[in-house]
Amino acid sequence: MGMLVFLENHGGELQKGSLGVLAKAASLEDVAAVIAGEGARALAGEAATFGATKVWVCENAEVAQPLPQPLVDVLAKVVEEGRYETVLFANSVLAADVAAGLAARLDAGLNWDLVDLELRPAGDGKTELVGKRPALQDSVYADVGWTSTPRLALFRAGSFDPTRIGGGEPEIAEVSPTYAEHSTAVRLVGQDAEESSGPSIEDADVIVAGGRGLGSPDNFTLAEELAKALGGAVGATRAVVDAGWYPYSAQIGQTGKTVSPKLYVALGISGAIQHKVGMQSSGTIVAINKDANAPIFDFSDLGVVGDVHEIVPKLTELVRARRG
Amino acid sequence: MARPSNFPPPFSARDYVTEPTDPADERIEVGVLVVGAGPAGLACAIRLGQLLEEHPEIAERLGEVPVAVLEKGKQPGSHLLSGAVVDPRALRRLFGERLRMEDLPSFGPVPGESVYVLTRRAALPIPPPPPMRNHGNWIFSLSQLGRFLAERAEEAGAMILPETAAQKLLVSHGRVMGVRTGDKGRSREGGELGNFEAGSDLVAKVTVLAEGTQGHLTGVALDRFGLRGVEPQVWELAVKEVWRVAKPLDRVIHTMGWPLRTGKRYREFGGSFIYPMGEDMVTIGLVVGLDYRDASLSVHDLLQELKTHPKIRKILAGGERVEWGAKTIPSGGFHSLPRELHAPGLLLCGDGVGMVNVPRLKGVHYAIESGRLAAEAAFRALQRGETPASSLSSYDDAVRDSFIWSDLYEVRNMRQVFGRGFFVGGTLAGAMTMSKGRVELGKMRAEPDADQPLLVTDRAATYPKPDGKLTFDKLSSVFASGNKTRDDQPNHIRIERRVPREVAQLWEHMCPAQVYEIGREDEDGTVLVELAPSNCVQCGAITAKGGRLTPPEGGSGPEYSAT
Repeated sequence: MGMLVFLENHGGELQKGSLGVLAKAASLEDVAAVIAGEGARALAGEAATFGATKVWVCENAEVAQPLPQPLVDVLAKVVEEGRYETVLFANSVLAADVAAGLAARLDAGLNWDLVDLELRPAGDGKTELVGKRPALQDSVYADVGWTSTPRLALFRAGSFDPTRIGGGEPEIAEVSPTYAEHSTAVRLVGQDAEESSGPSIEDADVIVAGGRGLGSPDNFTLAEELAKALGGAVGATRAVVDAGWYPYSAQIGQTGKTVSPKLYVALGISGAIQHKVGMQSSGTIVAINKDANAPIFDFSDLGVVGDVHEIVPKLTELVRARRG
Repeated sequence: MARPSNFPPPFSARDYVTEPTDPADERIEVGVLVVGAGPAGLACAIRLGQLLEEHPEIAERLGEVPVAVLEKGKQPGSHLLSGAVVDPRALRRLFGERLRMEDLPSFGPVPGESVYVLTRRAALPIPPPPPMRNHGNWIFSLSQLGRFLAERAEEAGAMILPETAAQKLLVSHGRVMGVRTGDKGRSREGGELGNFEAGSDLVAKVTVLAEGTQGHLTGVALDRFGLRGVEPQVWELAVKEVWRVAKPLDRVIHTMGWPLRTGKRYREFGGSFIYPMGEDMVTIGLVVGLDYRDASLSVHDLLQELKTHPKIRKILAGGERVEWGAKTIPSGGFHSLPRELHAPGLLLCGDGVGMVNVPRLKGVHYAIESGRLAAEAAFRALQRGETPASSLSSYDDAVRDSFIWSDLYEVRNMRQVFGRGFFVGGTLAGAMTMSKGRVELGKMRAEPDADQPLLVTDRAATYPKPDGKLTFDKLSSVFASGNKTRDDQPNHIRIERRVPREVAQLWEHMCPAQVYEIGREDEDGTVLVELAPSNCVQCGAITAKGGRLTPPEGGSGPEYSAT
């Protein structure tokens, strides 16, 4: 039987990452989605535009807050009722917990940190599901599969574009599981959102990142101005975060965030491997650096050897002018 | 001339000794607590398992967890790095009839050996000096052996707690009660992050410190109980790489000479090793004594230079580097051993107390043997149901009766003679071994490594420029160690941050993991040292050269798998 995608929502909004996974799944076969929380039913229509033909909704009080265990109960119930053989998640703090909990509950195999998924012919007219997983610190891709059903998979953030492909009214089914005693033992005491202007670096289509070549913390305004002009977010290398030039939340790389925007502009970044593994899957990589031997030029689509302090202000002006 | 020891770190051993602080009902109680899942600690846990199996009534008395092993790395083996050509004596004694050498994850016995004296272009073969003969020894990856021993220890009933740093020594009424583990989830400034987890008091009847080189609590315990030896401990720094190669290597190779300088004023003592690891891998490493004086010396870059030697380039041709790592080796030998290897409730093993035979380039078998003997001493004390100091002193007696003691005694003055310059020292070292240590040269003073006055040369200019194929920079090497330490945690390295330029230069060049960087210069001519602690692979060189390493959050550091 078919595939099921967990659609995470916060504040009445379906999360971009899980919509990307949904769109990908819909391109492979018939797919259903699960939405839980207040106002779940109202989001079903939107899920349909990303390819869900059936949407399971749960509006129980137990799932009003973003806690993993009650969601495990919901998903376990849906998998049982709909006899789904594949359940897909887009990585997030919450989804990772739910996926792990569901794997334990169903005694199922969970492939973690996948970046792609395909159906491959397996003889006799059958197909098998194959995931792609970066291995050895992202230097190679490994094909991974499952030895039993249900098959669980958690995809890396930004693996798929959320493309609207469907339309029409989805079939809606309500689900109301029995919640395990331990599932409701946890209470959310409070929630705070970090203040931020502009898109977060995980969600941004454009990232302008700064490295030590910017010269001083003040020069980060160069990156900020360009990011603003492009409608993007600002990222930073570990070296500048270590030096206290920029907050840790903006750090991209092996020990920071892994991002894959459509456009990545690297300002004064040498391109050490620790940085590379956090951004190498970006769509187009543009690097500006005055050191022609900087390793970043080995994996940039467009490289400019020059002084960021001269080039970036002009570039920002041009972008602004073009965008009106 | 500046000496690093003139700029001591803000560190006091006293801050790492505490009474148990958790309420009595929240302390975690175990029978024997072993700190460090290396060859010493795991041998100790395995031997205890064997003894407790023979005496279930004692195991019963020790409660739910008779033996626990703390490991600061991600898993056992993550922080283990050695040559390693291992003398099999201790492994054979540990396993007896239970396992044969063939059952262990090794690369087989040493197939043959060569020793070369290198110059920039040439390699002169010399007959292996007696201490370097390796017939009958076995080649291992210590990291892999560690993982294997950890599985055996778990089978023997030990509980292994990885990703857990032993932060403080619990001492009550002069007796060691266990350790306090490090907090997790603290921010750079020390605040509590969302995933904060406070450390716990682990209380044990006997605590065995088997932390390896530069062991944090071993250092604390030596100070707290006044156990430091006649001579200060000194260290060497080893940097090594594991390569996948096109052609198998048919022998173990040691080299002396180039790229180290022989001039006496440089005090550059060391050499390289190149060992086969099966058909398609080799390991290559360079070891340099940390009593060197040149602030621009970098063992990492010298290893890169060594690989450009025609003889060595040929061995690596068509190959690919798969791993990199660094570690210090205690090399003070016999005279630097602690006065005693026990204190009330406490036993000390292995590299932590400097059980290394420098001329023979061996220490793993002493670590294993000392762990085994520690297990037996701890067991005897447990049998008697109490652990006053007198009942643990049998460990010291056992070590003194063992080959650890006789071997180290025989080569007791070997390291010191090299202070006279390589060729003179080499001859004396040879004479000492041939005579089984009967040549008495008079005990030579070993100064702490950080006491050596610094000099600065233009040596750094000759290091090869990394090409990413044969030669590598430090940052990509840190990556190859598997290190992905969380950056947003408190700094675990204690140094005086404002120092004369040559001291900062020394640290910058010395550190194989690019932790130290020279920051702004002040009017008085001193510079500020900037740190990138998450690069640290915990080799311990900074402790030898004027700073102090403490354990970062558990699970930090390299993730070695083939070193």
